[in-house]
Amino acid sequence: MEFFVQQLLNGLAVGGIYALVALGYTMVYGVLKLINFAHGDLFAVGAYLGLTLLVSCHLGQTLPPFFAVLLVFVLVALMVALVGYLLERVAYRPLRGAGRLSAVVSALGASIFFENALMLIYGARVFVYPDFLRPDFTVTLFGYQIPGMRLLVIAVSVVLMIALQIFMLRTKVGAAMRAVAIDQGAARLMGINVNRIISLVFLIGPGLGGAAGILVGIYYGQIDFLMGWSYGLKAFTAAILGGIGNIPGAMVGGLLLGVVEAMASAYFAVAWKDAVAFFVLILILIVRPTGFLCERTADKL
Amino acid sequence: MKKFSTAALALTLALALCGTSLAADFKLGLMCPQTGKWASEGMDMKNVVMLLVDNVNKQGGINGQKIELIIEDDAGDPRSAALAAQKLASSEVTAVIGTYGSAVTEASQNIYDESEIVQIATGSTSIRLTEKGLRYFFRTCPRDDAQGLAAAAVIKKKGFKNIALVHDNSSYAKGLAEETRDALKGSGVNIVFYDALTPGERDYTATLTKMKAANPDFIFFTGYYPETGMLLRQKKEMGWNVPMMGGDAANHADLVKIAGPDAAAGYFFLSPPLPQDMDTEAAKAFLADFKATYKSLPVSVWGVMAGDAFVAIEAALKAGKTTSADIADFLHNAKDLPAITGTMGFDKKGDRVGDFYRVYVVDKTGAFKLEPKN
Amino acid sequence: MNTRKVRFITGLALGIVLAVLPFFVNNYWTDVCVSIGLYALLALSLNVILGQAGIFHMGHAAFYAVGAYTTAILNTMFQWPIFWTMPLAGLAAGLVALVVARPIIHLRGDYLLIVTIGIVEIVRIALVNDIFGITGGSNGIFGISRPQAFGFRIVKSIHFYYLVWGMCGISLLLFHFLWNSRFGRALNYIKHDDIAAEGCGVDVSHYKLMAFVLGAFWAGMAGTLYSAKMLTIAPASFNFMESVIIFAVVILSGGSQLGVLVSAFLFIGLPEVMRGLTESRMLFFGLAMMLMMVWRPQGILPPLPRVYKKALARAQALAREKSE
Repeated sequence: MEFFVQQLLNGLAVGGIYALVALGYTMVYGVLKLINFAHGDLFAVGAYLGLTLLVSCHLGQTLPPFFAVLLVFVLVALMVALVGYLLERVAYRPLRGAGRLSAVVSALGASIFFENALMLIYGARVFVYPDFLRPDFTVTLFGYQIPGMRLLVIAVSVVLMIALQIFMLRTKVGAAMRAVAIDQGAARLMGINVNRIISLVFLIGPGLGGAAGILVGIYYGQIDFLMGWSYGLKAFTAAILGGIGNIPGAMVGGLLLGVVEAMASAYFAVAWKDAVAFFVLILILIVRPTGFLCERTADKL
Repeated sequence: MKKFSTAALALTLALALCGTSLAADFKLGLMCPQTGKWASEGMDMKNVVMLLVDNVNKQGGINGQKIELIIEDDAGDPRSAALAAQKLASSEVTAVIGTYGSAVTEASQNIYDESEIVQIATGSTSIRLTEKGLRYFFRTCPRDDAQGLAAAAVIKKKGFKNIALVHDNSSYAKGLAEETRDALKGSGVNIVFYDALTPGERDYTATLTKMKAANPDFIFFTGYYPETGMLLRQKKEMGWNVPMMGGDAANHADLVKIAGPDAAAGYFFLSPPLPQDMDTEAAKAFLADFKATYKSLPVSVWGVMAGDAFVAIEAALKAGKTTSADIADFLHNAKDLPAITGTMGFDKKGDRVGDFYRVYVVDKTGAFKLEPKN
Repeated sequence: MNTRKVRFITGLALGIVLAVLPFFVNNYWTDVCVSIGLYALLALSLNVILGQAGIFHMGHAAFYAVGAYTTAILNTMFQWPIFWTMPLAGLAAGLVALVVARPIIHLRGDYLLIVTIGIVEIVRIALVNDIFGITGGSNGIFGISRPQAFGFRIVKSIHFYYLVWGMCGISLLLFHFLWNSRFGRALNYIKHDDIAAEGCGVDVSHYKLMAFVLGAFWAGMAGTLYSAKMLTIAPASFNFMESVIIFAVVILSGGSQLGVLVSAFLFIGLPEVMRGLTESRMLFFGLAMMLMMVWRPQGILPPLPRVYKKALARAQALAREKSE
């Protein structure tokens, strides 16, 4: 039983990170239906930019860690948001009228571009976040020692998810986004500036992705230029698992994916965990063809 | 008369050909991963070989013949490697240094063999590469079975009874794990955990928790340094104090950076010795040059292995062997070449002979300390 | 000249160039063209699924792997000649496709996409973990023999060049007939509107499944050629990235057969042409991918609209009658 609970906690910690990356993913994905293969790489860009600010620009040493990290979060989120915005203008907007899959190829090109840009700028060796930035406390819950960082990751994911959900459901801009997601043409007729809304989506999504990159850097320490690809794929899986465009779904999908992986490691074999995770995903989709919490966007029929 | 003139013509032609081939540069290929997941090793290989080639050329070449280095990217992927090999073959190189991964090297092997080009692999430890009886294939790194035996010996010597054996499903790490498992058979050492993790991830707590439940007194992870670093780090966070060992792929300057000095302290790994721990002339001279040119130490032993491959070719050229067949014959009989990682020779299969696995221990400051032999 | 004629002439010119190319280039470029031919073959087979039927399928490397491993296992364990294993490789891939696609073929769009990604990952992990003890784990299988036909051993790059491109030529022809058949029309109908197709009595699931199986069959045969060319295969050659590249070739092509060839040349040839850029070559390749897509959002050469000659003639005759 203790083994089970421990593995559950491990799975939730990994899932929390997946959920965090998936939140930014599902924003873009839900509104544009664009499989943004570059999202993971924007996440890696965020991790590298954060490290540059903290170490090379000495923000980590001059400010108290908490404020330094907070400041870097905001700065990096803004910078990555800008990159995301530019990416949309250059690589995605010209393809909006064409089939959805054209943009996927463009996104793939962007992913290769970002990976290699990081390698050329920073070098191919791994980088490591300084240790002192990591909050070092443990919480005892029901007799289980839980590292504080894990709780923090899940707390950040939950807070972001609630904030995004409120933004989407309770604000005018959020309503406009949902309208654009359903039908761009009709949204334009309703007086919504579709281009501006999509730009905004591309500021929020990549911004969240960049922030997640810093969190991963602080949590795990090690970052490398290829880290975005696998996280991007997991985030995509999580977003689909939860239902396209469904923000709480992305959260649930991420956590579920993390837990399934941990359980597959624990009770089957570590070597087969990704295969088991995908198998479970396929089973879930056979039973529930539109995701765990179902799609939220309307569908043409 | 006619016969004579034909013979004379043939002779002049042959002489002319000879003359041009003497004046022409010796074409040497280097195949290494310049992009993709092993780009950092590839960069190191390139730096080392370029440095050595420059040194030779500055001194006027070997026997008056300069060396022209042609570098191709294999991207750490078999398909790209096959094309890179064909490209080098079409550039008419006589010998090729590289490459790193075993599966990648294997994809290029038959192309070099069919084109009769000497290939000296640098980091490809998979056993079967030299079991095919290829005449032109050599390697400067030891084989997985040599390392497996060495690892088993260390485990037995240190007296561990229940060990966890983990690899990452790469052909190198899996090979080493299997060789170690075979070498430990009947020695009274139990393998209580045997599994593979997924390389390139960040979180290995699920693997560690499962491992801990099997209650081993020792962990041998045969994979590469990024995962080793994460395992050490997360093992410490779990508060699990169990000794851990690695193979030669853990020998990398970034290992301690990833794990943190506290978590890495006490970790040990098997590896061919680093040039900074050798007191041979070759190693000292190489290290001084490398430091002067790049202002740093080589990040891992694999770049140095590429340097060893160059030493082998240099020796062959010095002995006047300039065709691939001659170089291959020379190397098959070579003994005691002054390589950077110690004296080097090759056997009939093209494997490097000699026992040169040493144990390195990470000390409290995070430095790699060579454990004295016995 | 209309577009149709231009395309025909371009295709013909490309065919002639391809037919004589190996006599003018060295082994390296011949090998690059063999690689391009293999991807063209794979992309042609994926085009049936993705381009013709509009099924979002990003796991084609799974079937390619099944074919390649079938050949490798039959050849190294049972000494089957390579060409004999070819139909079996196709059948094995088709069978796998039939089994895995049956329960998922009704999924829509992105849900199907992630499932196919899952399939390619499951296949790769199974191969790495040496499933049934016959795949050789992460080392893969080596010692595959050279193909032999009528006493002629296919060894050199140039032999493979004609083998692979000959296979491409046959595939082009067959898929052309397919496109013009009832089956091809049904697939196109499904792509444009599957609900309307269902309403008109097209058995959508059946046709989709058939497209899937046919594409997989062809990819399996391409796998045979790959094994024969490389002589050694490893799971690393069939990862998700490989699927993605085949996918991208089809999307960039726009869906026509000629487009697939051109797009394969761009995708596989460009990184080779850019070898001179060393470390930064993949950076420029990524950039080129974005630019090509922005330049031709519908793909390089989208298929031309269908022309129904009989119907056209009837309509023209009718119009003439009216005007008289």
